[in-house]
Amino acid sequence: MKAKTKWLAIFLALGLVVAACGDGAGDDTTTTAADTPDTTQPDTTDTTAPPDDDDDMEPGEILTDVGVDLDAGVIRLGLLSDLSGIFAPLVQVIVAGHEVYWENVNANGGINGLEVELVTTDTTYEVPVHVQRYEELKDQVVAFGHSTGSPHTVAINQQLQDDGILAIPLTWYSGWSDPAINSNLMHHGINYCMEAYNLIGFLEDQMGDDLNTIAIATFPGDYGLDGALGATQAAEAAGLEVVYDGSGAVNPADESTFTEAANAIASSEADMVYVVTNATTFASIFGQTIAQGYQGVWTGANPSWNPALLESPVGEALAASSYWSSYTNVWTSDAPGVVEAKQLLEDSGRLERPSSAYFEGFVEARMMHAALEAAYEAGDMTQAGVLAAAKSLEEVDFDGLAPNESYVGEPNDYVQRTSNIFQPDLEGFLSGETAGETVVAPNYTSDLAANYDFTGACFVLES
Amino acid sequence: MRQRPLLHTSYQSDQALMNSWTKKVMLAVLLVILVLIPFGVLPVITFLSETAWLRLLTTVAIFGIAALGLNILTGMAGQVSLGHAFFMGVGAYTAAWLGAAPGPLLGLGLPIWIWLPAAGIVAAAIGVAVGPTAVRVRGLYLAFVTLGLVFVGEYVFRNWDSLTGGSQAGRDFPGFTVRLWKEETPLIDFSTAGSWFGVELSSQAKTYYFVIALFIVAVVLVKNLQRTRVGRAFQSIRDRDIAAEIMGVNDFKYKLIAFGVSSFYAGVAGALYAGFVGRMIPETWNLLLAVLMIAIILIGGAGVVTGTVLGAAFVVILPRFVEDFTHWLSSVAQAGSGFSSWLADLIVSTGAGDFGLINTQAGTAPGLSTAQLNQVLYGLLIIGFLIFEPLGLYGIWLRIRNYWKGWPFTY
Amino acid sequence: MNPTLAILAQEAAGPSRFSDMVVEGLSLGAIYALLAVGFVIIFKATQVINFAHGALAALGAFLVASFATIVDIPGRWLPDAPSWVTWVGAVALAIITMGVIGMILERVFLRPMVGEELFAVAIVTLGLDIVIRNVTNDFIGQFPRQVGDPFGVALFDLGWIRIAHTEVVQIVVALVVVGLITLFFRSRLGIAMRATAFDQEAARAQGINVGRVFSISWVIGAVLAAVAGVFISMFPRRAAGVDQSTAFIAFAAFPAIIIGGLDSIVGAIVGGLLVGFAQSAATFYASADFFGTGFAGVVPWLLMLVVLVVRPHGIFGTEEIRRV
Repeated sequence: MKAKTKWLAIFLALGLVVAACGDGAGDDTTTTAADTPDTTQPDTTDTTAPPDDDDDMEPGEILTDVGVDLDAGVIRLGLLSDLSGIFAPLVQVIVAGHEVYWENVNANGGINGLEVELVTTDTTYEVPVHVQRYEELKDQVVAFGHSTGSPHTVAINQQLQDDGILAIPLTWYSGWSDPAINSNLMHHGINYCMEAYNLIGFLEDQMGDDLNTIAIATFPGDYGLDGALGATQAAEAAGLEVVYDGSGAVNPADESTFTEAANAIASSEADMVYVVTNATTFASIFGQTIAQGYQGVWTGANPSWNPALLESPVGEALAASSYWSSYTNVWTSDAPGVVEAKQLLEDSGRLERPSSAYFEGFVEARMMHAALEAAYEAGDMTQAGVLAAAKSLEEVDFDGLAPNESYVGEPNDYVQRTSNIFQPDLEGFLSGETAGETVVAPNYTSDLAANYDFTGACFVLES
Repeated sequence: MRQRPLLHTSYQSDQALMNSWTKKVMLAVLLVILVLIPFGVLPVITFLSETAWLRLLTTVAIFGIAALGLNILTGMAGQVSLGHAFFMGVGAYTAAWLGAAPGPLLGLGLPIWIWLPAAGIVAAAIGVAVGPTAVRVRGLYLAFVTLGLVFVGEYVFRNWDSLTGGSQAGRDFPGFTVRLWKEETPLIDFSTAGSWFGVELSSQAKTYYFVIALFIVAVVLVKNLQRTRVGRAFQSIRDRDIAAEIMGVNDFKYKLIAFGVSSFYAGVAGALYAGFVGRMIPETWNLLLAVLMIAIILIGGAGVVTGTVLGAAFVVILPRFVEDFTHWLSSVAQAGSGFSSWLADLIVSTGAGDFGLINTQAGTAPGLSTAQLNQVLYGLLIIGFLIFEPLGLYGIWLRIRNYWKGWPFTY
Repeated sequence: MNPTLAILAQEAAGPSRFSDMVVEGLSLGAIYALLAVGFVIIFKATQVINFAHGALAALGAFLVASFATIVDIPGRWLPDAPSWVTWVGAVALAIITMGVIGMILERVFLRPMVGEELFAVAIVTLGLDIVIRNVTNDFIGQFPRQVGDPFGVALFDLGWIRIAHTEVVQIVVALVVVGLITLFFRSRLGIAMRATAFDQEAARAQGINVGRVFSISWVIGAVLAAVAGVFISMFPRRAAGVDQSTAFIAFAAFPAIIIGGLDSIVGAIVGGLLVGFAQSAATFYASADFFGTGFAGVVPWLLMLVVLVVRPHGIFGTEEIRRV
């Protein structure tokens, strides 16, 4: 009994300490990207004339509400990141890209003297957590640097519109280019649907008469089904027969569905497979099909691929039989934006190994940078002001880091149709020299993709 | 008798809901606090009126209702269930079918006074239908049957696209608006901001009031159930089912009732949770949620209503606390030199390659992410409470109270 | 071709879908049987339902991955040794570590619970599962870790059957383990364990060191879980290696245990194979048009529910005697 009481006392004491600290920490939930010590709570009233006079800016004309503090010289951006869920390997690298980019911007004078501070939260790739995190951040930040996951972003889409806040979707759902679905999100990169058009069109050119049948295996939900619909439509346009339609049949939470899909693909003996999954799921399906003697060409949405797969036993087989497309430029490119980004990553010491996922972080950060600067010039750095500035950007130029984007005009004009098509580069990756990508078609737009008349989202989520 | 307020001379007064003056006063104070929270007028806990905190409190109430149900089954009747998440899912989808506006997905657009009770009733019906198996299968085998329910349920939810919206896609759930029938303007709308009796309220505040009110009703009902013939039958089954049967307690009947009532609570809570979050994917109702429910009743204290409430509050608020605490630690660690910042730096990793138990920097250093840390804490707390304090937080509260009451005597 | 009809339309020569199904069923069954046997040994000896079994499997697989590929022990000291030697060395090290971990877990977390309700003890292991799983997952990191086995993606193709080298290893190891367990139960220690399982107090009165029996059973359970974990994380099932979901795969072994009966080793083996084959058959022949996706994942549970309705204590389980 004595031992029990002692432990209890320890627990209790810990509990009290913990409770005491909790209150103090309750109002301080920001992390700094720069070394700026954290300061005050964001101002919720309009700041008009701060006392200090700075020669290169006239803060008196800048409107602010949430997330921009002219006195402290801080702009807060929120990141709704999946740091521990199924896409975490990718998202962690992307977040690092954001951080490196803004550290550099801050070190070089920030945005007209204002330093950018990132507030990163882990959404764990769960919709309720995502919504909760959004609610927590929306009173602290001026805009969201990214929002991970399609169903998750859909869940906050209405709220974003009601609150008038800008966000960059870290998901390539085709609906983000559809004004009927979204008005507050900055689309970027080729969407899952168009990507299927691009890749299938590419393989059609490459393989010619050898390509007659296709198997499709995807995750459910707007990520998987958007890609699946694109693949189904593109296959029809290219005259391919769908011998296995596993649209939405692969469930990340259920191992047995991987085997189901693998068996069906092996049975179908399709000439090519289009997958829309994540990398580990893809590797599992791939392994099980080749164990049954299947030999087809593999391709699919970019998040299904991760160069780290090249280290696995199936690496060699993968390198020989798959093609992928990259939304950003590839590591080995010599475009000015890429060279600059690589330099910054190396200088920051954050570079673990070459990966073009860092570029995605840079691309998102540059989009937000463009929006913030436009908002500053317009003199309105309120949440609504940043949103309006973003939506009137005629061109965001990434210096070759990714295809340029536009946010004005008709969806069919501004929807992205270009991606970089590459094959896995086994030797380059294993030696650590490249990110594991050999470009076979840089800045490629297939005829199938070019001719596609984009009027709205391929897959529409039902409410 | 007036001099001895704690002396109960009749069974009735001993079993009364509020059998002491302290309880009555404390309860009144608590109710006033609950009402005042959204206005942010209370000292010290002003921060609870923030949107995010109101949402957390609402979640506490919803999980509290669900856990009360599990407590009836596991805490009171002693039937181990790992399948509570399944019944919550049943409730949520019943609510969606009946309450959501007609569209591409199943929805009848009926008012809340139909769909909310129906969510409970359908879940209860399925609970009772599963009951006979559960009565035949005993003890630990029962735990596995209910575990199986979660998996089978998830499979059904994932594949029933027309009702659930399909895996990873999900659907919208009906919100908290009270209508007489299907008329345009609702009588009372808990889910949009507006003024009540001249008081301006945010949508979160209204939702909070709605859910808290239901939660209080749920607590009172369980408290009452505990004091009835049925409640005592449950407890006798829990303590020794054969002995109970010999004394004339119908084992089969009461186990079915326990399953039914427990599932009713789960169903209502599921409908509330889904309506509260708004959009849910079918994967929500999985094993992790079921384990979370177990964690709530074990951390709070199995078989005790107060314990369940404490447990729900603890489990829901812990992640927020862990996150704030981590940020506070990392700010201490970054603040400069000195022992405290050295200590904080050991616990949190703040930069690339920095060692730390908790990792706030994405993808750079080893260390638990805050989400993982939460899970680990749940696990450790479950173990710790079972080994050292099986009565949970309620047990700790009892010790404190008895110490207070008995002071300066230790007994 | 419709996969449901595939079985009827096989060509006579070449590996058929049916033989692929049998191979898959055998290797899956071997994995489940390994998990189930370890679980049953723990339950028989200590009366603990070990919910942490899946987490132990993932931990074991991760340890093999660490020794074989991350820290490269003993490979770094044996630069000239063939890859299978260093890998077996790494596996041996991982197995020893797992044995120690199993012993520590029992001693620290479960010994204090001796004599408590079965349910309470089971929930302690549920807590352990959460802790071990999350800590392991943190070490695994966000991308799978290779277990570094030397078998690669090679296949034996005998014309009528096609089987990966890794699958042969899985089946052979499972058979060897079953044999060893049978021998073990004839040894002095094995008899002591059986006596303890029968009646802890009586065994103690006979001079059996019950505490040691508890420890040994956890050592065996943890080691078998680790071996199963490694097999789960290999080509072809998990070509990318051990990852954060490995711990969950072992959940499908629970129905296998229940089907066989919680306290029967034979039951565990039969249950494991039954579940393996049922799942394999479902992945090959259950039509997605009718059953939707993920049916194979619930087949073990459905099978379990059916068995429990007919025999509430599993096929080989002994009926619990209830006393007042």
